[in-house]
Amino acid sequence: MNPPSSILPSTDGDDLAILNTTFVAISEFILSIPGSAGVLRYIKTSYQDDPFRVVLELILVFFAIQYMSAKKYKIDDNAVKLTSKEIDELVTEWTPEPLVPPLSDQDRLDLEKSTLITGAQGPKPRVGSNQKPLLNLASANYLGLCSSDRIKEKAVQTLREYGVGSCGPPGFYGTIDVHMDLERNIAQFLGVEEAIIYAQGFSTISSVVPAFAKRGDVIVVDDGVNFAIQKGVFISRSNVRWFKHNDVNDLERVLEDIRVEDLVLKKRLTRRFIVTEGLFQNHGDIAPLPKIIELKRKYKYRLILDESQSFGVLGRRGAGLTDLFDIPAQEVDMIVGSMATSLCSAGGFCAGSHEIVDHQRLSGSAYCFSASIPAMLAVSTSEALAILSSTPTLLTDLHDRARLLRSILAHRSLTPLIDLYAPEPDHPAPFLHIRARETFLASRLRDGERAVPREDEERLWQEVVDECANQGVMITRAKYVVKQEVNCPRPSVRVCVSAAHTRKECEKAAGAVKSAIVKVFGRWRK
Amino acid sequence: MTYNSNYTSTHSPPSYSHYTSQYNHQMSSIVTDEEHKTQIYNQSLDQSSMVNLNSSWVNYKDFQDTSCSTAANTRRFTGAWVTTLFLIVCLKMFFSIIPGISPEASWTLTNLSFNFGSFIMFHWVQGIPFENNQGAYDGLTLWEQIDGGIQFTATRKFLTAVPIVLFLLSTHYTHYDFITFGINFTALVVVLVAKLPLMHRVRVFGINKFDMD
Repeated sequence: MNPPSSILPSTDGDDLAILNTTFVAISEFILSIPGSAGVLRYIKTSYQDDPFRVVLELILVFFAIQYMSAKKYKIDDNAVKLTSKEIDELVTEWTPEPLVPPLSDQDRLDLEKSTLITGAQGPKPRVGSNQKPLLNLASANYLGLCSSDRIKEKAVQTLREYGVGSCGPPGFYGTIDVHMDLERNIAQFLGVEEAIIYAQGFSTISSVVPAFAKRGDVIVVDDGVNFAIQKGVFISRSNVRWFKHNDVNDLERVLEDIRVEDLVLKKRLTRRFIVTEGLFQNHGDIAPLPKIIELKRKYKYRLILDESQSFGVLGRRGAGLTDLFDIPAQEVDMIVGSMATSLCSAGGFCAGSHEIVDHQRLSGSAYCFSASIPAMLAVSTSEALAILSSTPTLLTDLHDRARLLRSILAHRSLTPLIDLYAPEPDHPAPFLHIRARETFLASRLRDGERAVPREDEERLWQEVVDECANQGVMITRAKYVVKQEVNCPRPSVRVCVSAAHTRKECEKAAGAVKSAIVKVFGRWRK
Repeated sequence: MTYNSNYTSTHSPPSYSHYTSQYNHQMSSIVTDEEHKTQIYNQSLDQSSMVNLNSSWVNYKDFQDTSCSTAANTRRFTGAWVTTLFLIVCLKMFFSIIPGISPEASWTLTNLSFNFGSFIMFHWVQGIPFENNQGAYDGLTLWEQIDGGIQFTATRKFLTAVPIVLFLLSTHYTHYDFITFGINFTALVVVLVAKLPLMHRVRVFGINKFDMD
């Protein structure tokens, strides 16, 4: 081995000799590693007289190595990390909640006072231990189709032909000719392009809203809508704005707010919907449709109208709100209705243009994921529609009974005690809510009480219901999921008229309700 | 005629105590911190309610659960991984057979088209194409959706390694001049930076930002 001093001038030859031998040893060692020749050749060709390039590439390699060796972790992981000791402590501390929670007083009241009908449902059912059948003012059997022999016969025939269940969701063998007939019949009856039927009335609207409105979309909703609509609006995950119940000025204010906001913040264009109810289940009044349609056109929104209560009873033909206001049904983008109310069958429908309906066949969760309604119910609904269109007297009878009930309940003796919703004498709604008047409640406050507790008010109405039953009339309290309602209405009884009752029966029933209220209210908290 | 009853004038102002967090009842556009938290919570709730078909195909985790583990592991990596490599080979072949093309040009084109394509697919397009969960993944790129947002998973490492290796191969087989080297290196850096954990849900200068409120 040559002394290194000839290559590298140095004063200390020994040290350099050691260094040199070390270098040689290292290079020999590297060459002895399998594959190292390839790496060296790679570096030699990659070098290309450009050290800067090699440095960059080395940085890349180091980055890659570091990335490859990094440990997994979740960004924004806000899960609470517990030590095993803490976990043990939590486990020993834990006492399971009872599977069935203890009943509250309200629950007990609801359970005890549940109405039990023996035999068939109808205008005059046998109820519980009552000797005589009661006049039914508690069901949505407005047109008396519930006990129609013609429908019953048709249903039995269908049962013989098709069996009971439909054996599948509509997209998978669940659709049969009677379902398609029914969809056609509903569309024809309303005067729209197409309709789609759902198997449950409640889940219709709560499925239609999220089928169209997603995250980031805007929904403007009346704050008096029923529970099903509230749930639909909530699970759509859209941005929800509420306007005051049936207040078109407030609706316009909200729409204008959104418009200005979009301009100022330069927001992207999203889908927009106005959601309201035709005949309000909780308030008994009617949405001002012409004005809402005018606003929806002005601000370019789509209108989803829930006609669960109004379909089959409002308007000259009973085709709902559009019929009542003489507006073509195509003006409303989605008409949602229930077949479980006036038509006395089951399920719901959404009617609109071909596009609206087609979209739901794959995007309406309740349509896709639950079995279609049994054939006999579909046939019953079709038959009910046929009866409705061929018997105009049904509707005139119904409105006559409604007027009768309203005129009796508007009696002077009741004015200081109750409020009617809605109270107008020729309001076309076939049912009304009766709520205790605030001044009356205020006059019966106990010492130190600021307001009558909701539960007491419920009990008051239950007493009225019981008293009515004694007098041969069945009515019922309106039930709400108090904790979940956005704007829970005050306790009430919901009194429904039916075309199946004669004028005399209706008069008698209304009189019974009136005297029951006078009697119970008179002795309450005294 | 209007049937608007006088109900609105008599009823008490609504109380939304139960729902203040779930409903954006305030008419102002300023979303409060609480509401924002609820939105994030609802979004993660919706995301975890079902399998994200848009991102699960990139690693086919489900195959791992089968009892036959060796077969499962080989099948696990046969999905998007092999497809990526296959695509690159196809790209390189395509650009190489152009008559008269230099190796520099063909490698540069391969690099650029792969990086551009993967940038569009992984870092530009947001949401999922088959919407079935109320837009639970709105505003998230495919890269952010992979493995439910967990960083440094096998799939992420693989997809990060591919462009690096591709770049090193191309510098090895060519004599890039300053310009072509610069172009290739910049394309690589853009793709790599987009994959870093610190870029998760970050939209530089608000480019391609998806507003949710």
